[in-house]
Amino acid sequence: MIVCIAVVGHQNNPLYIQSFTEADDALKLHHIVHCSLDVVDERVNNPKKSGPMLNETFLGLLYPTENYKVYGYLTNTKVKFILVTTDLDVRDADVRNFFRRFHSAYLDAVSNPFHVPGKKITSKTFAERVSNIVKSVSFHTTG
Amino acid sequence: MVREVSESCMDSLLTEIVSSYCNRFYATKPELAARRIEAIGYQVGHQLTERYTIERPRFNDHLEAIKFICKDFWFELFKKQIDNLKTNHRGTFVLQDNKFRWLSRVSVDPSVEISGAAQEPSVMSENKSAQATGLHLYFPCGIIRGALSTLGIPCAVTADISNLPACSFVIRIKV
Amino acid sequence: MAPAVPRSGDAIFANVERVNAELFTLTYGAIVRQLLTDLEEVEEVNKQLDQMGYNIGIRLIDEFLAKSNVTRCVDFRETAEVIAKVGFKMFLGVTASVTNWDTEGTSCSLILDDNPLVDFVELPDTCQGLYYCNILSGVVRGALEMVSMKTEVTWIRDMLRGDDAFELQVKLLKQVPEEYPYKDDE
Repeated sequence: MIVCIAVVGHQNNPLYIQSFTEADDALKLHHIVHCSLDVVDERVNNPKKSGPMLNETFLGLLYPTENYKVYGYLTNTKVKFILVTTDLDVRDADVRNFFRRFHSAYLDAVSNPFHVPGKKITSKTFAERVSNIVKSVSFHTTG
Repeated sequence: MVREVSESCMDSLLTEIVSSYCNRFYATKPELAARRIEAIGYQVGHQLTERYTIERPRFNDHLEAIKFICKDFWFELFKKQIDNLKTNHRGTFVLQDNKFRWLSRVSVDPSVEISGAAQEPSVMSENKSAQATGLHLYFPCGIIRGALSTLGIPCAVTADISNLPACSFVIRIKV
Repeated sequence: MAPAVPRSGDAIFANVERVNAELFTLTYGAIVRQLLTDLEEVEEVNKQLDQMGYNIGIRLIDEFLAKSNVTRCVDFRETAEVIAKVGFKMFLGVTASVTNWDTEGTSCSLILDDNPLVDFVELPDTCQGLYYCNILSGVVRGALEMVSMKTEVTWIRDMLRGDDAFELQVKLLKQVPEEYPYKDDE
């Protein structure tokens, strides 16, 4: 189950963060997202470590914790998407597909003339679309 | 299918941006008018870059980003690529479009007055038309600056029309 | 010389130079956003958008007449149909429908279900008085004025304000008789 999704600007400024669990988890999830940003920076600044995935927007699994898996995506415009899920055995293809749909929703939100670049995304349409994407996704557990 | 509108719609908007800002809102402050028109372009460049770079690997360096502007980005806007790209390898790039569409199609309003130092009348009329043409270039300069900034490359963009109908955009990357 | 046959909006749109609508839509959005910053008052922005539209309308009418081969509309009723089916289509790529005629045939509504100006747009709470598409009402008013019809054009419905369509009411105020150097009728 997807428990948290975040959009973070190029100066690590949060643009959107939404958790999909009981309220008392929020703080912990925000912390996980925060920690993952360093992993993204490290990956991008040390391209050797990321090997064949060099420059691909999908960054793959950033790090696993005991209860969560954290995935990352970095657009050409230096915007990070962070996904936190409780599914522990997830196919990359499904996560890629999720990010692809999420990216389209993000694009339409920032194409709104009233959205100010670098500021939080406040669009209700975006929030609804994200929640629909999250609901419709089920990461297949193999094994 | 890609949604389209008639090119006249776009040309009309460009003409109106210039005449509204230069003749009505900031008739006596041409620098302010220029800055506002550039800001409109900046927003468009920013948003288009978000859209046009989806599903595309990240660029390695400035040159790759500039090449993207010259090829794919320009093609989306004008159905042609930039004709010539030059660089001094020290952060300055010159993008030349041999027949820049927004100058060949947009009707330049000769009534646009630019306040400035008094000049010889003959020089003035010539300059006036060049200046009026120049007003139409703040918007595309803003688009390019918005596009590159969004790709993480802060820069200044100016236009050179000494060679009409060719138009050169000069990009100076800030270090 | 035989009079040219009026062409359909689809046929004209297929043959004009076209651009990616995203560029147009985002440019219009950026203009509205900049006007709100510079003019501050929403009412003033509405007025300026209408003015820009009017200026565009008085210029576009020539291209419209030249490309559509429309000669002279018999009455206001026919004019409204031509704007909706040919005018909107050849410029914006969408057609409008005409309804809500009054009994005198001097007032009607143009309805747009699809409007490329508003793709991606979501009005913020601070702009509730904004007629985002006000440029369109100006275009219609300006274009009609060039064919001697003084009109008043107002928004009745606006999807950005939660309505189910865009409805533009066009009211004919005065029709100035034109003097034509030749007779149009066959």
